[in-house]
Order: sequence, then C-alpha cells, then structure tokens
Amino acid sequence: MANPLVPGLLRDHLSELADRDERVDGRGQWDGRELTIEVNPLPNAEGSAKVTMGDTIVFVGIKFQIQTPYPDRPNQGGLMTSAELRPVAGRHYEPGPPSPESIEMGRVVDRGIRESGCLDVDALCIIPGEKAWQVIIDCFAISDDGNMFDAFALAAIVALKNAIVPAERFDVGEDYPLPISLMPIMCSYHKVGGRFVYDASREEEVGGDERIHITLGDDGHVHSLQKGLKGVFTAAEFDEIMTAARQRVSELQEIVNNL
Amino acid sequence: MGGYGDVQMIDEDGKRVDGRGPGDLRPIEIEVGVVPVADGSASIRWGANYAIATVYGPMEAHPRKISRQERAVLDVRYNMAPFSTTDRMRPGFNRRSREISKVTSDALESVVQLELYPRSKIRVEIEVLCAEAGTRCVGLTAASVALADAGIPMTDMVVSVASGKINGVVVCDLNKEEDNYGEADLPMGVLPNTGDLVFLQMDGDLSPEEFQQAWDYNVNAAQAVHEIMVAALADRYGGGE
Amino acid sequence: MGEDGASDGRGSGRDIKLVVPGEALGPAADRIVGHGVGRRGDQLIATRLGHLCEQGSEVSVVPVKTAYMPRPGDLVVGYIEGMRANIWFIDIGAPFNAILPMSLAPGKVDYGATRDAMDVGTTILCRVQEVDESHSSVVTMKGMGLRKLNSGFVDQVPPHLNAQIIGSKGSMIQMLKEASDCRIIVGQNGRLWIEGEPEGVRLVRDALKMIRETGHAPGLAGRVQGLLDS
Repeated sequence: MANPLVPGLLRDHLSELADRDERVDGRGQWDGRELTIEVNPLPNAEGSAKVTMGDTIVFVGIKFQIQTPYPDRPNQGGLMTSAELRPVAGRHYEPGPPSPESIEMGRVVDRGIRESGCLDVDALCIIPGEKAWQVIIDCFAISDDGNMFDAFALAAIVALKNAIVPAERFDVGEDYPLPISLMPIMCSYHKVGGRFVYDASREEEVGGDERIHITLGDDGHVHSLQKGLKGVFTAAEFDEIMTAARQRVSELQEIVNNL
Repeated sequence: MGGYGDVQMIDEDGKRVDGRGPGDLRPIEIEVGVVPVADGSASIRWGANYAIATVYGPMEAHPRKISRQERAVLDVRYNMAPFSTTDRMRPGFNRRSREISKVTSDALESVVQLELYPRSKIRVEIEVLCAEAGTRCVGLTAASVALADAGIPMTDMVVSVASGKINGVVVCDLNKEEDNYGEADLPMGVLPNTGDLVFLQMDGDLSPEEFQQAWDYNVNAAQAVHEIMVAALADRYGGGE
Repeated sequence: MGEDGASDGRGSGRDIKLVVPGEALGPAADRIVGHGVGRRGDQLIATRLGHLCEQGSEVSVVPVKTAYMPRPGDLVVGYIEGMRANIWFIDIGAPFNAILPMSLAPGKVDYGATRDAMDVGTTILCRVQEVDESHSSVVTMKGMGLRKLNSGFVDQVPPHLNAQIIGSKGSMIQMLKEASDCRIIVGQNGRLWIEGEPEGVRLVRDALKMIRETGHAPGLAGRVQGLLDS
C-alpha cells in the first residue's frame, strides 16, 4: 500500500473539530455510518454477505474443504481467514503479495471468530483422525472508504450464519446449515484529532493516529483486542471506548439477528 | 474441451438446458458507478456471473520504469475472487489470470486513446466475484463500461461475447453446464460501431460452417450487449434524448 | 450546463443528449471537430462519454468526467510531496507531479533549505507556469495571492464539476460563500480551499458532497439552495 500524503491542514482541521466534539462528516463521536447488509449475494460461495458502511463496501464468502485433522486434535475441524485488499478497492492500493495490513486484518477477524467459540470445531469432524471440514473465510474489499476491519468482521459472521456445509458435493452425507451458536462482533475506534471515534472514514484514518479493535461476543465477553499503528492511549480512554463498544455490539447483534 | 457427446444438452425443439434458443444470450444486467471511491466502475451480472470493474487514473505511473514518454500505460488486472468458483480458488499468482489480463489489456489498448496522457498510467481492475462460464468476456465488457464511466477517451467500447459447440450444435454464450460438455469455445471482442475485432481466442473443434455460425452469433450478440451497456450508462448519467 | 432556462434548442448547451464512446455523430463534412470528438472515415464519432454540444458548426462532447490536465495560468491547490535541494515536487491532482523551483518560491529560500521553508504535507496555492510536450508542469508561487495555506481546509471535487461549483456568472460560489460565511478559493484542479467557522466549513462540504453526487443531473442550483436553507 502506498503511504498516502497527509496534508497538514487535514490534521489541523480534524483536531479543531474534535475540540468542538464534532466530526468531519457531521457524525457524533460514537455514530456509525449508514449500514446495509446483504445476505448470500454470491451463489458460488457456501455462505456470503455484502456489507456497506457509507462508501466502504466489502464481500465475504465462505468455502469449505476437507482436510486431515491435525494429529494433536484428531476430532476437530479447522478455520482459516484471509483478507484480500486488492487494487480494485482504492487508488492507494498496489498489486503484489499480501500487504502487512491485509494480513493483520485477516488475523484480527480470525481471532474474534475463533476465540468466541461461535464455531463448534468438534462438530466439523467427519471421521476422527481422517477427515474434517476446514471452513475458509475470504474477506474481499471492493471499495475502501475506511474501517475495513469492522466491515470484514461483520460480513464474516453474517456469512457464517448463513452458510451451508456442502456435504453432498464432497460425498460425506447431506448438506446442513453450519451451526453458529454465538455472535462475535468487532468495533473499531480510531484516534482522530486527539480523541477516539467509532467507524472512522478513510479521511479520518489518513488524518488520524492509532486504532483499537475490540471483539465482543455474547454477554459482553471480550474475545480479541488489537492496537494498531503508532500512538499512545490511556487506561481511561480504553475504558471509554470499551463502554461504547458494549453498547454498539448489542445494537449490531440485534441487527444481525433480525436479518 | 471435454467432448462428452452422449450427454443430451439440447432437446428435440432445439431448446437448451436453460430454455434458451441456440443464438440467445443469458440475461445481462449492468450497473454503472457501483464503487464510490473509483474514478469509474461498473458491475455486471451475466447469467450467474457477477463481476466488478474499476478504473483509476490517469495517474502518475509507478514504478517510474513502466512509464512511457509518448503515451499512458494501461495496467489491466483480471482476477477471480477465492469464493467465485465451486472449489475455492487460491489467491495469488495464476497463469490463467495473467494471460486473460494480457489479452484484455491488448483489446482495450486498441480503443483507448493512450497518446493523450503521456507518462501516466490508467489502472483497470476486473474482479470476478461469481464465475459461471465466459468470465473473460464478462470482465472485458465490464471494463469497457468502467472506462467510459471514468471519462477515458476511447474510439469505441469493446463488447465481448463467446459462442461454442455442444452436442454438435453451435450455440451462443455457453453457460456452465454447457461449458462442461462443450466441444469448442470462440470468445471474441467486437467493436460495435465498426464490427472490427480486437480480441479473439478459440479452442476446440469447429467445421468451417460451424465456425461461421459461431462467428455470426458473436457479432449479432455483441450488438445486443452494446445496447445494454449504453442503457446502463444512460441510466447513470441521465437519458438519451 | 445544467441551466433550466427557456429552451430554444441549438447552441445554448441545452441539448442533453448523452453520447457514448464510438457513437456516430453524423457526417464530418463542413463540421469542426471539437473536444471529445474524433473521425471515423467521413463520419464524426464521440470519443468520450458525455453530452453532445453543437455550437455553430463545431461538434464537441462535454464529458461527464475528466481528469485534471494542467494548463498554463491555472490556479491550483497543491500539496508538497517531496523536495530536493533546490526544487519541490507538488501533487496538483494531475496524472503526474509538478515542479516548483526554488526561484519561484514565495520568498527567498537558500539552496538546501527547501524543507525548512515548506515541508512535506504543506498545502499551497500556486499557479501553473508552463506545461511541456509530455505534460510535465512547473508551478509558481510568485504572484498575487499565491501562498502557503496555513489554515482552513481543502475539499475536492472532480475537476469536471468545477463549472457547476462556480455556477452561471459565479452564482453558485457566491451563494455558498454567503450561506457559509466562509472564504472559498476554487482551484482549477478541483481542490477547494475553505476557511471559516467549522459550521460554515461543514455546510460548504455538504453542498460539495451534493454537487459530487448529483452534479451531472439538471436542477442542481435548486437542490443546493434547498440544502443551504435547511
């Protein structure tokens, strides 16, 4: 990814706005952009979702493969998450091997889902020690206007919840819906103009500093955290965004449940 | 090409598995301006194919060594998303995608007025999100619309369609089932205003008569697809008259 | 463009027929080839997506989108992207960077002290001085009003919408300035410098967003007026 030029005026303007408790697009500190979720738009994926947050657009598709379980966990299937930030999604992207940013994104999305236990890996076993399902979550960006982490994580859980295990195609029984019991949701906060805001746009990301990603599951359990980019934050700041995240996660869980 | 002659893909009335006649296209829907951050973009649904094309530029050519003093470089990438196919497609380098990117670029270079933007670069990205058969044609067609949407000067818009042969019958625009049993495939890139060709590939086996039939199907279908492309642009930018 | 005045057809820019690249525009004989138009044999064709414009015998296409191509004399907002001992490289939103030589800087700059004078990320108001054959351009900061922009905010619209932002006889930009109580400078590269109270800047930005999203459709002035009033 090419490092974008950060005009000094943008940073100044963002902090001027932050001092007045305002944001560059008029949102409140904890407001998200307009969100739409489309379920299973991609017929060749076993489950898929398209998430639009403002001008950010991503797809996630679920695919299944059969693999031999790891010797130390003969009764378990596997999960793999990859995020692709291809040049289709923005002027600043360049072709080439996966960037550190996209690898970080894939891994943070993966941890939130894996650690929440929403996917019962024991249920993915077909024949112990011989065959088990590997669930592959592919995150694919179409339009990057900021906060790809949350868009990917949300699309991933929606796609998983709507995925069908293609057992017939692999000759191992009948197709069945992938059991997803819990709902991990990621909320990301960027420091912009000296304070944290939710769901930063690309303009805010470019003119901002560090970011913190929080994945919460059911009953407020914390499943993954990640601090990214250069910057320092205080325990009090973290407290504040954790409170905001708890609120937002339950709103998003309700939205996903009502799809 | 497979050539499993014993599978019946065309019924006694000449209807194909999805009910089309031999010269009929699958349903096609094009939408312009689907990627807000791009300079030009289009999505296309063509049968079960679903592809998105974006255009960025003209912009500074990076790395510097690729830039040309007398014209812009066209940097075209065709790619299939990992979830676009029945079996997951591994992301990364792929000889097939490279070849399609190259022939797509060659086709588009024949119409884009690159000489107007010396030393710069125009990026064209084609992403297949759901593949059914004929994705190179779908991608090239979408790229033409995205280039027009980006305001890039061109002498025409490339329209790409393919015809082929199943059960010894020449048909236009093979779907996935037909493609699996296809005996020949002839994808072409046609300039709708002149009938000139800028892209041509073929594999399989066609008699001279069959070849002519497939060729004619493509040339006719290109006109129909062109109308859909124009309508999609008019839909975005306010009508014809 | 986009004026909803009385329509008497020809030459007024009232024609909003959309043409696509490659579309035949009739015989070439006795007609002048304007912007966005080419020849194919004895026919004229559109070479860009846009609206057909016939003025007298000249046929042109007003493109729906266009990249910024610098021309001498253009007033532009640029960002310093890099420097050497005696020149700066300026991002002016064109397909390639422009050069600002030390000798055309606003004040006296010593050799090797370019960075002290203006560092990467600095926003400047400058003028395009020359554009050579291969589109390389040189900008200058010598001239009335040309300067380092130390305050305010820069927003961007595609350069083909500049005409809409200025409006007929400057009506749109005037309306924006009055409603927002902001100073606004419209760079020909589509970058606008806005300075004022944050509410005012917000209002201008909302209006620009509307222009970006709906600038190609008629009735823009009314829509922007509605936004400013609300």
